[in-house]
Amino acid sequence: MSKLYDLTLAIRSKNAGVDQVTFDIIFRDRDTYEKAVASNAITEQSICDLFGVSREAISHFVCFDVANAIKFTLYRTLPNGSPGDWDILGCQQYGPLVELEIPD
Amino acid sequence: MSPSRREKLSVMISTGHLGTAPSGLESFMAAIDTRPDYLVADAGSADPGPVYLGENIELGHFVREELELFLLESRKRNIPLIIGSAGDSGSNAGVDNFVRQIQEIAAEHQIPKFKLGYFYSELSGDFLAQELSTGNAIAGLGQYQDLTAEDALSATRIVAVAGNGPFLKLLESGADVIVAGRCGDANFTAAPCIHAGFPPALAFHMGKMIECASLVAEPFMGKEAVIGTITHEDIQITPYHPDQRCTVASAAAHSMYERETPFFEHTAEGTLDMRDCSYEQASERVCLITGARFEPWDVPTVKLEGVRKLGERYLGIAAVRDPHVIHSIDAAIEWSRSAIAKRFPGEPYQLHYHVFGRDGILKEREPLRGRDPHEVAVVVETLHPDDAMAAKITDLAVRMFFLARIPGVKGTSGASATTKLPMKYLPGYEWSINHAMQVRDEMELFPTTITEAGV
Repeated sequence: MSKLYDLTLAIRSKNAGVDQVTFDIIFRDRDTYEKAVASNAITEQSICDLFGVSREAISHFVCFDVANAIKFTLYRTLPNGSPGDWDILGCQQYGPLVELEIPD
Repeated sequence: MSPSRREKLSVMISTGHLGTAPSGLESFMAAIDTRPDYLVADAGSADPGPVYLGENIELGHFVREELELFLLESRKRNIPLIIGSAGDSGSNAGVDNFVRQIQEIAAEHQIPKFKLGYFYSELSGDFLAQELSTGNAIAGLGQYQDLTAEDALSATRIVAVAGNGPFLKLLESGADVIVAGRCGDANFTAAPCIHAGFPPALAFHMGKMIECASLVAEPFMGKEAVIGTITHEDIQITPYHPDQRCTVASAAAHSMYERETPFFEHTAEGTLDMRDCSYEQASERVCLITGARFEPWDVPTVKLEGVRKLGERYLGIAAVRDPHVIHSIDAAIEWSRSAIAKRFPGEPYQLHYHVFGRDGILKEREPLRGRDPHEVAVVVETLHPDDAMAAKITDLAVRMFFLARIPGVKGTSGASATTKLPMKYLPGYEWSINHAMQVRDEMELFPTTITEAGV
């Protein structure tokens, strides 16, 4: 097992409009990316399990080959900056991904 | 090929959010000394939240310095300057404020007279209600339902996101400097490219790739200059910080930055389709991109952004170290919440408890929220239409953590370390309008003005 932290150039989250947060997991090279995709450790279902959301909360999921990246977008529970929302840019939502275990 | 056809056009940018931090001077000067055809800058975004549009306030503390640098260096070289989404929200006050500062800077530095063009992007709730009453639906984006007249009329302020129309009109009028109200992030770059006759697909793609300046290159650096160069076949991105390169990896990664999908980008005039884009290394530091397509809408469609005020807002902090109180922190929150409900029945308040150390950032999406931390800070966020009431409710809600009655706790001198006075914060707003509206004529929504500045 390897932690996502050790396999990637970047793991980030950011608002995509006021109503969605998008997550980019950019792997360090093509080989690492392809192995991670093939491991099926990052799928719509595993994202639902990790963040405790339903499938309907995922608005987009894609393996983006040209950037060696897995990208997915979640609907927000509150539009950005509403009272009750502290992560106004959505830039810390990726936290739980950093230590995600990927089978070797 | 006609002999007058222009072969390439270069657009320089040094900041993806004008005013939040100064542009790197060394890369700025290196880039502008190559004499790009345009200098552009993005000055706004919906990212910082709804309060900036609501209150007509700006978040950056370096707006004046940036405007001064951009104006002086561009006028010195006779390079047109285009600034998108002035004043963070692109409200009329934001545009007026930028225009005034540019006029002041021009006078102060005795800049020779130049043409200053600007346009507004605000529209009224009455206008939208009128559109709805004539049977034009205004579709919600994402999770938003179709717009109702009540949404339109209760909004504090509304802007429409401009496409190329007002930019092209001002460029055709010979503007040397353009200050835009709210506009698409790609448009302040795409418009001058299209004005010069380059293909819309490449123009929009270049606009998208350079809107955040040096974020398109690697290693990660903000606020450094890059230049996008468009031809009739491709676009090239060149960074000007000596340690940065625009690589296939950095450009491809940036093409998906802060967007729902890496393949499509909507603008007022249509959809940029990036599914067949290819990226190659033109030289060590320059990335070359081809393959974008553009599909225009049948009817121009502008995005609308509107906010509604929810109340005055205060914050207070209750910090806890006792492990038994932490273990029962939900009971302490309930104790606080019910004390407010009992003391202020029927009052139109909102209470939010952010439990930092446990799930303050992710809330219900935090996988580790069931684990007891050794220390937590509960930030109490309170809203009420009346300022004094918001302060009073915050104060009591925080004090209830000090006074929390948790069975089995040994401490008898206070169950939390708390702020003594609640802290006044920016008023609370929400994005009440996040919609798309079809328009007969884009120019109806974005009135343009040409004036002069300088001496």
